[in-house]
Amino acid sequence: MESLNDLIYGFSIALDPMNLMYVFIGVFAGTLIGMLPGLGPISALALMIPITFNMSPASGLILMSGVYYGAIFGGSTSSILLNAPGVAGTVATSFDGYPMAKQGLAGKALAIAAYASFVGGTISVVGLMLIAPLLSKVAVSFGPAEYFALMALGLTAVVSLSDKSLVKGLIAAVIGVMISIMGIDLQTGTERYTFDSLNMLEGIDFLVVALGIFALAEVFYMLLKASNKPQERNVIGSLKLSKNEVKEIAAPIGRSSILGFFTGVLPGAGATIGSFLGYSMEKRLAKDGDTFGKGNIKGVAAPEAANNAACGGSFVPLLTLGVPGSGTTAVLLGALLVMGVTPGPMMLEQRPDVFWGVIASMYIGNIFLLVLNLPLIPYIARILDAPRPLLLALILIFCMIGVYGISFSTFDLLMLLLFGLVGLVMRLYGFPAAPLILGLILGALMEESMRRALQISGGEWSIFIDKPISLSLLAIALFSLTAPLIKSAIKRARSA
Amino acid sequence: MNAMLKRPMKTLMAVGVSLGLAVGFSATVSASDWKPTKAVEYIAPANPGGGWDTLVRTTANVIRAEGLSDQNFAAINVPGGGGAIAWAQVARDSKNDHKLFATSPPIILVPLSGTSRFNHKDFTPIARLITDYSIVLVRADSPYQTVTDLFDAIKSNSRLSVGGGSAAGSMDHIAIAGAASVAGLKASEVNYIAFSGGGEAMTNLLGGHVEAVITGAGESLGQLEGTQLRALAVSSPERIQGALSSVPTFQEQGVDYTFDIWRGVMGPKDMSPEAVTYYQDLFAKMMETDSWTEATTRLGWLDAYQNSEEFGVFLDEQLEQFSAVLGELGLLRQ
Repeated sequence: MESLNDLIYGFSIALDPMNLMYVFIGVFAGTLIGMLPGLGPISALALMIPITFNMSPASGLILMSGVYYGAIFGGSTSSILLNAPGVAGTVATSFDGYPMAKQGLAGKALAIAAYASFVGGTISVVGLMLIAPLLSKVAVSFGPAEYFALMALGLTAVVSLSDKSLVKGLIAAVIGVMISIMGIDLQTGTERYTFDSLNMLEGIDFLVVALGIFALAEVFYMLLKASNKPQERNVIGSLKLSKNEVKEIAAPIGRSSILGFFTGVLPGAGATIGSFLGYSMEKRLAKDGDTFGKGNIKGVAAPEAANNAACGGSFVPLLTLGVPGSGTTAVLLGALLVMGVTPGPMMLEQRPDVFWGVIASMYIGNIFLLVLNLPLIPYIARILDAPRPLLLALILIFCMIGVYGISFSTFDLLMLLLFGLVGLVMRLYGFPAAPLILGLILGALMEESMRRALQISGGEWSIFIDKPISLSLLAIALFSLTAPLIKSAIKRARSA
Repeated sequence: MNAMLKRPMKTLMAVGVSLGLAVGFSATVSASDWKPTKAVEYIAPANPGGGWDTLVRTTANVIRAEGLSDQNFAAINVPGGGGAIAWAQVARDSKNDHKLFATSPPIILVPLSGTSRFNHKDFTPIARLITDYSIVLVRADSPYQTVTDLFDAIKSNSRLSVGGGSAAGSMDHIAIAGAASVAGLKASEVNYIAFSGGGEAMTNLLGGHVEAVITGAGESLGQLEGTQLRALAVSSPERIQGALSSVPTFQEQGVDYTFDIWRGVMGPKDMSPEAVTYYQDLFAKMMETDSWTEATTRLGWLDAYQNSEEFGVFLDEQLEQFSAVLGELGLLRQ
């Protein structure tokens, strides 16, 4: 088996003591960066470019990719403990992770996140190793029409993410889409919803909205509901999973890993979309789907497996096509170019050391992450033991630092505050936050793809149904929208 | 009293310099000992991986590797709006001596098409560094063998899509529309599809979603090493040496057209003259180093240095030339 030989060659590079150290430093730094709300891997990687300049390209990429998947791994921690997503890809983890923490199951939620991340990460490395060159064909088969269909399918998750009122969920989703298209339109250069403000020209960063709507709104809500009763002690709970629980999350982790991996392979989709798709898929498949959002362990396992798998998947277009699929891999591409490696179709032949060395290092890195994170959980989870005033202040500070770290703009801090208030109002009046976030993630990409597709087809809408991939995705979208309606219609007919 | 005097002096000097630059004032302020006192924010007004980004990262690295500055040149990506978003950000930060950004024809083209509130006159030219050329790519199995084949096909099929990595009315679009107009087509006959980067455009070409792509020659090197893409023409006056030496020019194929993608560095408005002098000299020094030669060979760049003053004059000439071309093409919105 040829890939086995290649992999052994890869391990011979990754197991070099220096490289081993780089993997360790990378994943450790990544975990820390991921844990801090807002502070994502992009800025950390950009800062690292000077450090990697004098390394061999393989070592440099091993270190930097360690930071990347380490951050996604660690990002779940603050999502679960503080309702403040550590990186964009872990927003969906807070839907069930935070309720679990509130129920005194923080330890279990963190452990599930760690296991799911490990499995997701490992499955994606296997995928990367075995079928990366093949997958690059999948990546290029997605043109504007296909992306539009994929985004449309993603948006149907609004139905499953709006818990009580579908109307309120749809309103939230539309607001999310509207926020996503603020700023200069890439295709015409027209300014939209900028109110002639220079600050709005750049649109609003995803994390500003996510941290506001989730973390800050939670802080406000807790302040509003503050009671004088002595604070009940938060219990971290056991890290151990029962046999039944392991059984319960095994299938969701497997499915979400594969789904997440394929989402990651598509340039432009990535970890955030992957985790949302994984979450809503499992919610629909689960028999106890209505307990999602209230602390269901599958609701933690699915997005965590998916986002880590997507992270691995995003290396496919980078290493086989030389095309970055996300902001983070784009920084990696830049770093590689600077180190004198031009990723592209010939990379496998020209620089097998980089390709296989990095893949082998990912196996090692994932094990490091698991071993590093599990023993730390009880200590990190203690943050919940902090007195409430201190905890709320901490969340506030973390969010501010995170947001300021993205843009160095005080305007964004005001935006964070504004979205905190929006989140509070939504909460008080029963509007779900998840659909808004979904609309925000998918909206702009969906619109851009649709316009591009129509420009290519000369305005013919048939382009969306002439292409098999786009047609099937749209059909699945239609089915998932109508299935609940049909189901309830049948139910009504029967009971009548 | 010193403090009181200093401020108006500084303001006067800044005004003097900005006026001076506009009329071709030579920056003869004594080469004082000004040096950056903190990390220099070095902005690529696009996503990583593109031409501006490569310029920023490569120059920053050569400066570091050769120990030309004590301070770090920190590469920062500010993507969007074909550059307009980064320019708006820099424009807000006038007089900042620790901010630079990579620039190229879009600084002139984008404002002309009405999509940026700022143009090159809102910034301080530092130095022109290199030039690259546009290249037209098709899939290896494409029926078009020459660039004339492609133009003939566009003539008979107005839907034939040509992708590019910049916004409509910006560099890649102008490069192909200009060539088409020289080849006897109407510029508007080219169905140009704007992608958010050359990489994305090439993925769409590989997948068969567009028929051709126009992008920077340097950017396409990695792709052309493979067997899936073929180059039809390059916009240089003579063939580019090295890896692209087998690609014919437009002129060889009877289309009398060249298009330069020059790249350089600018700073915010009213940058202190000492800083301008420091940076222009720094880049001149940088271009004499071995690391730079090694990098330009690898990236297929051609040296084209101009200092701050020459660069400013050049930019004004480019403005005239591009407005004429854009007007002719019916894309002038200003």
